[in-house]
Order: sequence, then structure tokens, then C-alpha cells
Amino acid sequence: MNRKSEQTLALAGAKDEIQFDHNHDGIDRRGFLKCMAWAGAGAYCVLQGGVLHSYALGGLGGHKPAGELSFVQISDSHMGFNKPANPDVTATLQAAIDKVNALPQAPEFLLHTGDISHLSKPGEFDTVEQMLKGLKAGDHFFVPGEHDVLNDDGQSFRERFAKGTQGAGWYSFDKGGAHFIGLVNVMNLKAGGLGSLGAEQLEWLEKDVKHRSKSTPIVVFTHIPLWSVYPEWGWGTEDSAQALGYLKKFGAVTVLNGHIHQTMQKVEGNVMFHTAMSTAFPQPKPGSAPSPGPMKVADDQLRSLLGITDVNFVQGNHALAVTDQTLG
Amino acid sequence: MKYKLCVFAIAIFLGLAASGFGQNNATSAQDAKTAPVEVKIDNFSFSPATITVPAGTTVRWTNRDDIPHTVVNDKEIFKSKPLDTDDQFSYTFTKAGTYDYFCSIHPKMTGKVVVQ
Repeated sequence: MNRKSEQTLALAGAKDEIQFDHNHDGIDRRGFLKCMAWAGAGAYCVLQGGVLHSYALGGLGGHKPAGELSFVQISDSHMGFNKPANPDVTATLQAAIDKVNALPQAPEFLLHTGDISHLSKPGEFDTVEQMLKGLKAGDHFFVPGEHDVLNDDGQSFRERFAKGTQGAGWYSFDKGGAHFIGLVNVMNLKAGGLGSLGAEQLEWLEKDVKHRSKSTPIVVFTHIPLWSVYPEWGWGTEDSAQALGYLKKFGAVTVLNGHIHQTMQKVEGNVMFHTAMSTAFPQPKPGSAPSPGPMKVADDQLRSLLGITDVNFVQGNHALAVTDQTLG
Repeated sequence: MKYKLCVFAIAIFLGLAASGFGQNNATSAQDAKTAPVEVKIDNFSFSPATITVPAGTTVRWTNRDDIPHTVVNDKEIFKSKPLDTDDQFSYTFTKAGTYDYFCSIHPKMTGKVVVQ
């Protein structure tokens, strides 16, 4: 992997990779390093100095680091949505599944970061459930989006997609030496507020990580961003600081989410935040439109704004390489 | 816009009539029901965000977004199902007071109905 020679932006079309090296000491702790990547524009950002390295996925070739754990993230399928710019979200979810199935190395599992359905309808859940049976990626793990818990406080979501979980559907598991934590921040939202984790879940989280070694890589996945992307549009979680406080002792924390239907990345101290594209429809850049409603784009552009996220975890150096692939 | 103002004016007139002529309350409320006050949901906001209506008025919300929304009172005195595009929700306000509401899916969306 030739990453060192990368200096700044590169346009690589559909495949970009951003690698976050948690072990390097050159992290800017005074502020944060922020990087925004628009999949459709094919831009990806590079921050030198050890925090982020990026390189075109093509540069990987058939290389497969020893001890690698790889998984894939799909988000915001919005099954049931049928408006412009995407009247056929089934076709684009299928395209995402095909993308995953075509990866050179089958991922070990899938994380779906919510908004499986558009209106929490049983038929919508059924369709996604059936389609994901064709996904070549071992286990499937889900957290709900606000569109999945519309009618029954998420009961039907949990029965299908989060059996045996705690509270509103939170849980954790270990894979490949990393500790994965699925959080729910779409329940009991208060007027005027943002996403919310709630006291019960925070208490559980504190206990869940308390006795873990600080060298354990942590991967948190949830629907609404845990950092304030754009509070004016509700793109943030009001009690996320408390959650991140419990994760401070860990050397490497990655937070994956959906909800905003575009890729965006931020590094703050030991935490890398990454939001995934939707498989259904794009949403505008923060503040660039009157509202966060679906962005209407030309048919031939749509798939370049939808996609999947592919994550590789390299054991030994705690680095996570996050790759966004568009469907177009 | 003119139409909305007109409906508004009629609603206020009916309200005044109702308070001025107690005996006619039922009739006035009935009339108000036939001409609900409209609130549109557009671009993730309630428009108008605040309305003032006489008791007995029916308020009707219409979702004109491509994304579902809800209309939920903070105290859950009224609560709509998820409203898909063009779906409507109506509620008749019989008691004076201030009713704050929001979209439980997008809680940044807030509105208020003042019933006199």
C-alpha cells in the first residue's frame, strides 16, 4: 500500500479510501480535523501528519493484510420511499448488495445503521429482510433509524432486527479483537431537541466498557451522528458528550452512523466519526438547502450519490480503513 | 395567501361571535369545523408556525414534504400517525390554552396553537 506519497486531494471516481491511524502521535488535540468527502464529486481528503492517510482503493490491488477483519456498512435504505429522485429504492438497495457481493474479500458481517424502512411498515421490513438474505456477509447487525420506530416504539423493529438486545435495542459484541457497540439515539425525541441516547442506555454503556482494556479498539455504530454535524437540522445527539466521555480512555474509537445521507468525516482526539451514504436518496450539504429533504438529482447522477461503506480493521496497529463506494 | 387570511379572519369572527353570543356556541363551532384552519408542513417546518384560533376550531395539517412527519402535542393531548406525503391530520380545539406541538421524527420542527 503506497499511502505516503499522497499529499492532498485526489479525484478517484467511485472508490476512495481514508485510513485513520489511531496510534500515531501527531493528532491535533487542540481542535479537530475535519474532512468532508462528497462521494458524488469523487473527492477524498488527506491529512498528513499521521492522523489520516488516504489512497485510491485501486492501490490496494489484491493485497490483504494479515489478521484483517473486514465488515461493510449499509445505511438508510428507506424501503417504501418512492419519490424523486429515486422511485425505485429496491433497485438501488440491490445494487448495494451486488457491490458488497463483488468485493474482492467477502466482509465478515454487515452493520446497517438504520432507516431500513421509510414508514416502519411490515412490508417494507419484509422486503429488506428478504433482500439481505442474498448478501454475502456473515452476520447482520442493525440499529434503528427514526423511520423504523414510527408506530410502536420500535417493537416490530426489534422483533425482526434486534432480538435479545437491551432496552430500545442497544447491544455490544466482540469481533476480531475489536469491541462493537450498537447504540439507539432515535427514541423519545423531545420538542426542539436532537437525537437522544437517554439515561438508561448511557448507564448501560458505562458498565459495558468499564472493565475493558484501553487498548481494545472500539467501534460504535448508531443512526444519528454522535457529533454536531448541523444541529439546525437536528443532525446531532444531545447527550453524546457523556457517551464519548466513557470512551475517552480507549486509544482507538470509531463511530459509524447514517441519517444524513452523505459521507462526512471528522477526527477529534482518539475518535474518528464517519457517516455513510444512503442506498435510497441523497440529502443536501448542511445548510445548503431550505431543508434536509431529499435532494433531487438527474437520473444519471443518482447512483453516484448513493453507496456502501467498507471497513477494514488491521489487527496489531489498530487502524481502521474506511472506504466509501458509490453505486454508480 | 389571501385565502388563508380570509379563513383566518372568518375563524376569528366566528370566535368573537361565539364569545359574544354564548347561546350560539354550538352553531359557531359547527361552522368552524366546516372551515378548518390550515397548517402546511413544507420544507421541514410548520407554516404558519403559530396560529391563534377561537375555541371550537378545527386545525388541519397537511404534509407537503417527501418525508413523513408527525404532529404531536408535548403533553400528547393530540398525536397524529406518521403523515406521508399529502396525508392530513385534523384536531378540534375545544378548550382555550396554548398547545405546543412538534414532529416526533424531526423534533427541530415545532409549532404552536393558541386557542382563545
